[in-house]
Amino acid sequence: MNLLKRFSATDVSLSGIFIAGFLLLAVTSGGTLLTGQSLQSFFTYLAIPILIGLAQMVVLSIGQMNLAVGAMGGAATAIMAVAMTEGGLPIWLALLVGFLSATAMGAVNGALVVMTNLNGFIITLGTMTILLGVQYSLVRSFTIDSYSEALKGFGRLGLGPIPYIFLIAILTAAVLAFFFTRSAPGRRILATGGNDAAARLSGISNKRSVFLAHTISGMLLGVAAIVTISSLGGINRSIGGDWLLLSFAAPIIGGVLMSGGTVAIYGTVMAAGVIRLVDIARAEYSLDPSVVSFTIGIVVLSTVTLSEWRRRRSEVLRQGRKVLE
Amino acid sequence: MSGVDRRVGGDWQHSLRKLGSSQQVILLGTIIALFIIFNATNSAFSSVDFVLFPLIRDTSVIAIVGLAQLCVLSLGHLNLAVGRMAAVGAMSAGFCYEVLQAPLWLGLLAGLATGALIGAITGLIIVASGVNSFVVTLAMDFALLGFVSFIYMTFTDASAYTVQPEGMDQLRQGSFADLCFAGICGPPVIPLMIIPALLALGSVGCMFKYSRTGRELLATGSNLKAAQLSGIPVDRRIVLAHTLSGLLAGLGGVMLGFVNGSFSAAIGDEFLLPSFLAPVLGGTALTGGAVAVFGTFLGALLTLLIRQGLVVQGIGLEALNITLGLILLFALSVGQIRKRKFTMRKRSFTMLKRRAIR
Repeated sequence: MNLLKRFSATDVSLSGIFIAGFLLLAVTSGGTLLTGQSLQSFFTYLAIPILIGLAQMVVLSIGQMNLAVGAMGGAATAIMAVAMTEGGLPIWLALLVGFLSATAMGAVNGALVVMTNLNGFIITLGTMTILLGVQYSLVRSFTIDSYSEALKGFGRLGLGPIPYIFLIAILTAAVLAFFFTRSAPGRRILATGGNDAAARLSGISNKRSVFLAHTISGMLLGVAAIVTISSLGGINRSIGGDWLLLSFAAPIIGGVLMSGGTVAIYGTVMAAGVIRLVDIARAEYSLDPSVVSFTIGIVVLSTVTLSEWRRRRSEVLRQGRKVLE
Repeated sequence: MSGVDRRVGGDWQHSLRKLGSSQQVILLGTIIALFIIFNATNSAFSSVDFVLFPLIRDTSVIAIVGLAQLCVLSLGHLNLAVGRMAAVGAMSAGFCYEVLQAPLWLGLLAGLATGALIGAITGLIIVASGVNSFVVTLAMDFALLGFVSFIYMTFTDASAYTVQPEGMDQLRQGSFADLCFAGICGPPVIPLMIIPALLALGSVGCMFKYSRTGRELLATGSNLKAAQLSGIPVDRRIVLAHTLSGLLAGLGGVMLGFVNGSFSAAIGDEFLLPSFLAPVLGGTALTGGAVAVFGTFLGALLTLLIRQGLVVQGIGLEALNITLGLILLFALSVGQIRKRKFTMRKRSFTMLKRRAIR
C-alpha cells in the first residue's frame, strides 16, 4: 500500500498505457516486436528520450526551460568524435572530455541566467545558436565514423535483450530520483522552483539552485551524448536536431509542472516509453514521420489542458469545502 | 501630495521614453557603422542587385515576422509556432494559386486568414486551459509541423506548390524604380516588398500608440491582475494578440513564398531566432508591457546586415550561428544592466521622496 501511494495517478495511467500499447503492438506485429533484435533496438533508442527528458525536467523543476538540449547534446557528441579521430585520445578520455564539456555548457547557461537575471528561455536560445555553430564547425558536412569499433560494439552489448546503454539511462534516472528525494541540494532546488520568495526567506540561495539545476541538465546531456555516440554508427551534424520536442514531451506528459517545484522521474521515463511506442507504431504501419510530430503535439496539448483543468477543479472543491466548514 | 506623484510619474515615463529611443539611436549607429565597415573591407558589398536589394527585401519579411512575435511579447507571452504559422499561411496561399487558380490578392488574403485562424485557436487554447503560452505554442508548432509536411507530401508532386500567379514576378523583382510619378522614379535599391512591411509597421505601431485596444494589451502585459481589476477584458485581449500574431506570421510566410517563387514546408524554418532578435534588439521587453515597433525593423535590419556581411566575407554557416547567438546574449545582457541601473535610480528616488514626506 505504502509503495503504491508513492506513484501518482499520472504514473499509474502512463504505466497502463505503456503496457497496453506494448502488448497491442506485439500482437499486431505478429510477435516480431518480442524477438531479440526488435526488443534490443526498442530499448537502445529508448535510452536517449529518457535522458533528454530528464535533462529538461531538471530545468523545468526551477520553473525555467532549456532550449539548448539538442545543441548541447549534439556539440558534446561532436567533441567526443573529433577528440577520438583527430585528437587521437583513448575512448575513455574522449568520453570524459565530452561529458565535462556538456557539464560546462550547462554551468555557463546557469551562470548567465544568474548573472543577467534573464529568463532561462532566452539565454538558452542564445547558447543554442552558438552551440549549433560549434557543432557544425566541428563536424562540417561529414559523417565521422572512423572511431573505435569497440565503442560501437559496446552499444550492442547487453544483458540478454537489454542493452547496457539502456541500463545506464535507468541507473541515471535512479541516481536523479535519489538526488531529488533524499539529498539537501535536490530539496533546495525544488523549494526554489516551488516558491522562490519562501525559499529565500528560509535561507536557501536561489542563485545556487538555478546554477545547479542548469549544470545537472548539462551533465545529463553529457550522458545522453555518450549513449548517442555508442549506439549510432557515426556522428553527423543532424544529431540533436529533433531532441527539443521530445525533451519537453516526456516530462510534461509525465506530470511535471511548467511552473516549477515538481519532478516526476518515473513519469518521465514512462512517458518516454510511450513516445517510443508511437515511433515503433509509425515504423510498423509505415506511416509518415510527420504523423509522429502531429500526434505528440496533440498529446502534449491535451495533457497540459487536462492537468490544468484538474488543478482548477480541485481548487474549486477545496474552496467549497472551506465554505461549508 | 498628488502633485508630487504626478510629477514623479511624468519623470518616470519621460526617462522610459528616452531609454527606448536611445536604444534605437544606438541601433541605427551600429547599423551605419557596420555598413561602412563591410563596404570598406569588400567592394562587392555595395552591389545593388546582389547584396543591398535582397538585404532590404529579406529585412521586410523578417520585420513582419518580428512584429508577429512582438504582438504576443506585448503580453509577456511567447509564440514558438511563429515559423509554422507562416508555413501554414504560405501553404494555403500556394493551394489557392495551384488548385483554385486564384489571383495574387486572393491567395494573400487566404494566407492571412489561415494564419489568423491558427493564431486565434492558439489564443483560445491558452485562455481556456490557463496553460503557459510557451507550452501551448510549442505543442502547436509540432502539431502544425506534422500537418504541413503531411499536406505537402500527400497533395503535391514535388512537395511544393510551384504555380506562380500573375504579378508575383513583378512583386519579387520590382523596386521603387518601377514606381514613377510625374516622371520621377524611386531608387532601385528599395524593393516593392517593403510596402507590406511598412503597412504592417504603421498599423501595428498606430494600434499600440493611439488605440485603446493597444493600450489595453500593454496594460495586460505589464500587470495582468491590475488590468483585470480595472475592467479590461483580459481574455479577449490575449486571444486578439495571438490572432494578430498568426495573421502577421501568415503574411510573413506568404511574402517569403513570393521571394522564393514557390511554397514549400521549409518556409518558416529559419524564422524563430530572428523573430525574437528583431523586437528584442529594438527594445521590446520580454516580460511584456513595452513594445518598440519601429525598433523591430531596425533590429531585423541589423540581424540581416550582419548575416549578409559575413556571407559576403565568405564566412560559413557555423561562424554565422556563433556570431548571431553572441549578439543576442550581448544585447540582452546590456539591456538588462541598463534596466537594473534604471530601477536602482528609481528606487533611490522613491527613497528620497519617502524621507522628504517623513
